[in-house]
Amino acid sequence: MGCRDIRETISACVDGEASPEEAALVREHLASCERCRVLERQMRAVGAGVRQVGGSVQDRFREKVFARLESEGALPKRKKIFPAAWRWAAVPLAAAAGFGFLLLTPGDGIRERATPGTTTVRMESPVSSAPLTTEDREMIALIDLLEDPADLDANDDPEGMDLLAPGDSADSPNPPRGGRSGA
Amino acid sequence: MRTDEELMLLFREGSREAFEELFTRHHRAVVRFAWRMTGDPSAAEEAAQEIFLRIARAAPTYRPTAKFTTWMYTVARRATLNYLRDTKEDGEKVPILSEGEGEGGVYPVQLPGPNDRNPEQVVWEAQLTERFRTALGELPEGHRAAFILNRGDGLSYEEVAQVLGVTVQAVKTRIFRARMMLLSRLSKDVSA
Repeated sequence: MGCRDIRETISACVDGEASPEEAALVREHLASCERCRVLERQMRAVGAGVRQVGGSVQDRFREKVFARLESEGALPKRKKIFPAAWRWAAVPLAAAAGFGFLLLTPGDGIRERATPGTTTVRMESPVSSAPLTTEDREMIALIDLLEDPADLDANDDPEGMDLLAPGDSADSPNPPRGGRSGA
Repeated sequence: MRTDEELMLLFREGSREAFEELFTRHHRAVVRFAWRMTGDPSAAEEAAQEIFLRIARAAPTYRPTAKFTTWMYTVARRATLNYLRDTKEDGEKVPILSEGEGEGGVYPVQLPGPNDRNPEQVVWEAQLTERFRTALGELPEGHRAAFILNRGDGLSYEEVAQVLGVTVQAVKTRIFRARMMLLSRLSKDVSA
């Protein structure tokens, strides 16, 4: 096979698209043809060159594409968290949930803790969105006072006493635990 | 992880997230393809926008009978072609040639010689890359697309044939001729 006839097969061989028989023919030809060996190398180089051509994606390309798709109605709208029919209730529901969370948070809100010799009473959390009455507020304040950390330390948490150095008193400017004096 | 074909079917059913994932996976390849086909970054960006618009619009008729990427490049090639035609019809010059370079330019490019052990690893300097881009833009569109899809985007001859709607033998011939034209354009030492 002459050089002119085999060049197309050399090109396919460079791309890994030649059949085993064609590849064998090419190898045989290249072994005896300096000119086609040079051409084969140049074919490889020119194939690698195309991969060097190509720009980078601009920063705002994504935004531009999606803005255009949306403006032309070619893209489904992003799904909403709340369906339209329920959207009116989103704010009061979120407010009620947030308030309930605050009340159940240990420290500042209602919490439940067993005290020796007493019966644990589980408080119902105010999950409804109804506003608190004055009686409700007084009840909450009473519970909070009963669970003063200083009271808890005095009753069942002797470790707290260990923090008092000899000579220290409860009137120390830096009481070890608790923090609410005169409860 | 979902396949491209599954994502396209989900998008057809109304999933915006599926399209966003497809975009994330393929937008760089689409922009690169458009860049190589048009030879100009701004034209490539506009063409790439058009490509994604066409992909989105074609979703209702999409059938997963072929690889998504093959279908995507089919859309990309047509969109790029139309973009180039529209630009020419509007009387604007398609910026394939760089400033200062003309048809009669002589480029004494030194291609890797026979003593180079691995031409694939040759570092093409910026000047040579620019000349390569110019030479690429001068190829007939069918040859350019075949060569870019195979060498640039890694499609097999069979896949290129599907994208271009021609036979595998035609792809083989086009790529060979594209190579010879590029070599002839880039180096006067190489005979076509």
